[in-house]
Amino acid sequence: MNGYLSPEVEVLKLARLVGADAEELAYFERLEGQAIRDLRDQVTVAMFDADRQMLQRVAAATKLIPAKLAAVIGERAFGALLCARITGLLDPGRAVDIAKHLPVTFLADLSVHLDPRRASRVIGEMPPDVVSAITAELAASEEYITMGRFVGHLSKAALLAALDAVDDESLLRTAYVIEAKKNISALVALLPDERLEDVIATASSADLWIEALDVLAHVTERQRGTLGDLAAAQDDEVLDSMVRAALRDGLWSEVLPVVRAMSPESRKRFATLKSIQARRVLATIIDAAAEDSLWAELLVLLPLLPTVARRQVAALSTSFDREVFEQIFVSAYEEELWPALIGFAAELDKGPRREMAKLIDQSDDEVLESLLTDVHDNGRETDLVAVLRELSAAGQRRLGKRIATASAELVEALTEAADEADLETLSKALTK
Amino acid sequence: MSKAARRILGPELGTVPGGLEELTEKELSGFADMLQVAKREQSEQLEAAVDEALEIVPRLLRRTIRKILFG
Repeated sequence: MNGYLSPEVEVLKLARLVGADAEELAYFERLEGQAIRDLRDQVTVAMFDADRQMLQRVAAATKLIPAKLAAVIGERAFGALLCARITGLLDPGRAVDIAKHLPVTFLADLSVHLDPRRASRVIGEMPPDVVSAITAELAASEEYITMGRFVGHLSKAALLAALDAVDDESLLRTAYVIEAKKNISALVALLPDERLEDVIATASSADLWIEALDVLAHVTERQRGTLGDLAAAQDDEVLDSMVRAALRDGLWSEVLPVVRAMSPESRKRFATLKSIQARRVLATIIDAAAEDSLWAELLVLLPLLPTVARRQVAALSTSFDREVFEQIFVSAYEEELWPALIGFAAELDKGPRREMAKLIDQSDDEVLESLLTDVHDNGRETDLVAVLRELSAAGQRRLGKRIATASAELVEALTEAADEADLETLSKALTK
Repeated sequence: MSKAARRILGPELGTVPGGLEELTEKELSGFADMLQVAKREQSEQLEAAVDEALEIVPRLLRRTIRKILFG
C-alpha cells in the first residue's frame, strides 16, 4: 500500500478539475493511480496557462484596491473557481487580508478548486482560526479529498486547529486520501494518545479499517507500534472487527506489519483472539504472508498462537514448495527470528520438516552460526533436533561435523538433545 | 508514451504524461473535448468576471485598473 494512489480517488480529483462528473471519466479507473495523478498535474498547468496572462493582470490589479473591496469583487464577480486560480499569484499577506473579509462558505468553496502546490505560501500563512472554520465547513460537506490536499501546506498551528475541527470519522476518511502520504506520520505525531484511541475505536464502530490501516501503513515503525498497542488495549470487539475487516477486504498485508510492530504483550493478546483461530482466517493470513513475503511478520506471530492454531498453520504449510521454505528461511536469518522458525519447523509434517532440515544442511557457515547461536541462546535445541531428524544419515553426519566446530557449550547442549531424541548418528557426529 | 495520447491530448495539454496507453482513441478524444470546453468556459467566465469587477471598482480607480488589465 505504500505510495499507493487509488484510481477512484484520482479520477474524482481529475473530474473536479475539468468540471465533469466522476462517472463521465470512469474509464480512467483502468489506469494506475499515478498515471491519473500525472495527467491531473498536467491538466492543472494547462488550465492555468490558458488564461495565465489575464490571471496575472487581475492579481496585479488587486494590489491597488482595499482588501475588503477585493473580497467583494472576488465573491461577487469572480467566484470561487477563478479566485482559486488567482490565489497563488497574490502576495501571501495580501491573500490572507482578503480572506479575512470573505465568508467561510466561500473560502471552503475556493479551497475545493485551489491547487495547494501553487498557493502553498498563502496556505502556510492562513491563521489557525480561519483554517479551523474552513475545515469545519469542508468536513460538514464531506470534502475529504480537499482537506487531504492541504495537509503538508498548513502551518503546525493551523493543522492543530484543523484537527480539532474534525471528528474522528472525518479524520480517518481524510487521512486515507491525503496526497502527500509522507505527511501522515507528522499528522499522527500531533495527536495525543487519547485522540488516537478514539480514532481507533471509530475505525471499529464505523467500519473504517481500510482507512485506518492505510494510515498505519504510512506512519513510522514506532508510531505503528504505539497505535497497534492502543488498539490492543481496547475491547476484544475492536480487534475482532479488525480481523473481520481483514478477512472480508483482504487486509492481512496491512494488519500483519501492525501486529509485528506491537509490544510483545499486545501481540500476545492479538494472537490469542478467538477470531483469528479459525482455519479459514489462518489460511488467509498465510496467503497474505506468501503473496507479500511477510514471513517475518508471520514468524513473530506463530509462537504466540495457541497450540491448536499453530498446528493448523503447520498443516496449511504442507502445500508450500521449496521456494517458499527458502523465503521463510532467508527471512528468519535476515530478521533474526531463528527460534520462531525452528519452533514452527518442529511442528511441521515430515515432508516440510525435511525441506527445512535440508535448508539448514545447505546453509553457509555464517547462516548456520547465526542459527545455532540463536537456537542455543533461546534453549530451542530440542526443536532443532526434531527438525534435523528428517535428514538422511549422511546429512546428519555432514551437518554434525560442521556443528562440532562451534562452541563447546552449544555442541554439548545439542548433543544432549540428540541423545534424548535417540539420534545416534547426529550425536556421534557432534562429539567426534 | 502512447502516440495516440500525444496526438490527441497534445494540442490541449502541451506535455502529455505517460501511462495512458490503455485508453482508447475514443476515450482520449472524449477527454480532449472535455478539456477544451473547460478551458473555453474558464476564459469566458474570466472575461465576464473582469467586466463585472470593473463595474464594482470605484470610478476613480477604474481607469488605472483597466490599464493594468488590458494594457
